[in-house]
Amino acid sequence: MVRFQGVAMRYANGPEVLKDVTFHLEAGSYHFLTGPSGAGKSSLLRLMYLAHRASRGTVKVFGHDIAATPRRLLPGLRRRVGVVFQDFRLLDHLSARDNVALTLRIAGVREDTIRAHVAELLSWVGLGDRLDATPATLSDGEKQRVAIARAVIGRPSLLLADEPTGSIDESQGMRILRLFEELNRIGTTVVVATHDQRLIARFNHRVLRLADGQFSVERPTSLSGI
Amino acid sequence: MVRRQFDLPFADDGSGRFLPWMIALMVYLASLATVAALTTREVVERWNAGLEGTATVEVGPAADDATTEVLVAQAIAVLRNTPGVAAADPVPADEIGRLLEPWLGPDAARENLPIPRLIDVRFDAHTNVDVAALSRALVTAVPSARFDSHGLWLDRLQALGDSVQLAALVIVVLIAIAAGATVVFATRAGLAVHAKLIELMHLIGSRDSYIARQFQFHAMSLALRGGVVGVLIGALTLGALTVMWRPIQQAVLPDLTIGASALVALALLPLLAAAIATLTARITVMRALKQMT
Repeated sequence: MVRFQGVAMRYANGPEVLKDVTFHLEAGSYHFLTGPSGAGKSSLLRLMYLAHRASRGTVKVFGHDIAATPRRLLPGLRRRVGVVFQDFRLLDHLSARDNVALTLRIAGVREDTIRAHVAELLSWVGLGDRLDATPATLSDGEKQRVAIARAVIGRPSLLLADEPTGSIDESQGMRILRLFEELNRIGTTVVVATHDQRLIARFNHRVLRLADGQFSVERPTSLSGI
Repeated sequence: MVRRQFDLPFADDGSGRFLPWMIALMVYLASLATVAALTTREVVERWNAGLEGTATVEVGPAADDATTEVLVAQAIAVLRNTPGVAAADPVPADEIGRLLEPWLGPDAARENLPIPRLIDVRFDAHTNVDVAALSRALVTAVPSARFDSHGLWLDRLQALGDSVQLAALVIVVLIAIAAGATVVFATRAGLAVHAKLIELMHLIGSRDSYIARQFQFHAMSLALRGGVVGVLIGALTLGALTVMWRPIQQAVLPDLTIGASALVALALLPLLAAAIATLTARITVMRALKQMT
C-alpha cells in the first residue's frame, strides 16, 4: 500500500525535517502516527498524500514509485487517498453538500449520483440537517465531520487524518476514531496523526513514532500501560 | 442538481472585477472599427456597381446656350456612332442643378451660370470599347468635351476603401491582443489569489483541465457580459452617428446605412470576445499549473 525506504524530506533549501524514514503500511492496516509537535508528522503525511516529493529515498504508493510517476498519473493516485486536514480546508463559499460533492465532481461522477451519495454520507456523519450550511455557520466538530465525509466519499483505499481530534472535545474525538475503525473494517488503510497519547492508548493499533526527524514503529502492546 | 456556482470563489476576489469593463471598452472600439470597415466596403461596392460600365462626358459651356446645345448634340452623335456604346443621353439641366445645389444653392440652374453640360454614357457589357480612341474622337469633334470613364475616381475610391478596411482589421487585431493580455493578467491574478484552493483541488484528485475549466468559464462569463455591454454602447453610438449623418448625407455624402453584414458582425463581437477570453484563460491556467507539483 505505502512503502518508504530511506526517505528524507526538506522544504525548499531548508534543513531536513525527515531523515531516513523506512516503513511499510500493509493494505487494510490501521496506524497511529505520533510524536511531539514539530516532529514531522504533517510532513510525513504530505509525502503520503503526494503533496510533496522526498528529497531522497523512495516513496511508493499503491506500487508506484512517486519520484518516477509522471505528473499526469498523480490525480488518479490522489483520488485513491482520502485526506482529513488538520485545519479542515473546507471551501468557505460552498455548502457542506458541495464541499463533500467536490471530490466526486472532480472525479467526473454524474450529478444525480453525487446528490444521492452526498446526502446519504452527510446523514451518516450526523449532518443530514446541515446539508446547505456553509462552513462559517458550522461548529468545529461539524466542520471536522464535513472534512471526513469529503475524505471518504470517494471510497479511498488509504485514509490519512492529520490531528483529526485536535480541535474538538474528547467524546467527539472518540466518535471520529470509531468512524475510522468502521472504515478500516471494510478495507480502508488508515493513518491517524495525533500527539494525544491518551487517545492512542485507548485503541489497539500500531504506532508510527517520529522524534527529531527519526522514525520507529511500535507494536500496540508497548503502549498498553499509557 | 443544477450547479449555480464555481468551485473556486471567484465572486469573492477582485481579480476579475475589472475584466468586464475592459472587455466592454475593447468590444466598443472593435464595434466602431468593424462597422467602419464593413460600411466603407459596402459604399465602395455600391459605387462600383453604379459606375461600372458607365462614363460621363462633360461639354464646356459655349458663348450661348444654343451653341452649347449644338456641341452637346455633336458629342452625342459621336458617342452613338461608336460601336459598344449602348446609350448616350444628356443629363437634364434640372438634374445638374440638383447636383450643384449643395454648393451653389437651389437656383443654380436658373441663374444662367456657365455650367458645363453632362452626357451619361452606358457601354454594352459584351463589347470592348477603346476608351482612349473614343476620347480622342470626342475632342476632335467637340474641343471643349472631356471624357471621364470614372476609372481614376473608382481606383482612388477602391484604394481608400481598402485602406480603411486594413486599418480596421489592424485595430481589431490589436484590440483582440489587448483583450487576450487583459485576460492573461486577470487569470494570473486569480491563480495567485486561489493558490491554496487550487492546491487543495489537486490534492483531492483534480486534473489541471478541471481547474482550467473553472477559470475559462469564469472568463467566458465575464467577457460575454462585458462584450454585450460594449456592443450595446457601440450600437447606440452608431445610431446617434447615423442620425447626425443623415442631413449631411442627403446633401453631399453617400448613403452610409449600416448593412446586414455589419449588424451580424456586431452581434458576433461579444461571442468573439468570449471565445478569446475562454481560450486565453485555459492556456494561461494550463501553463501555470504545469509548473506546480
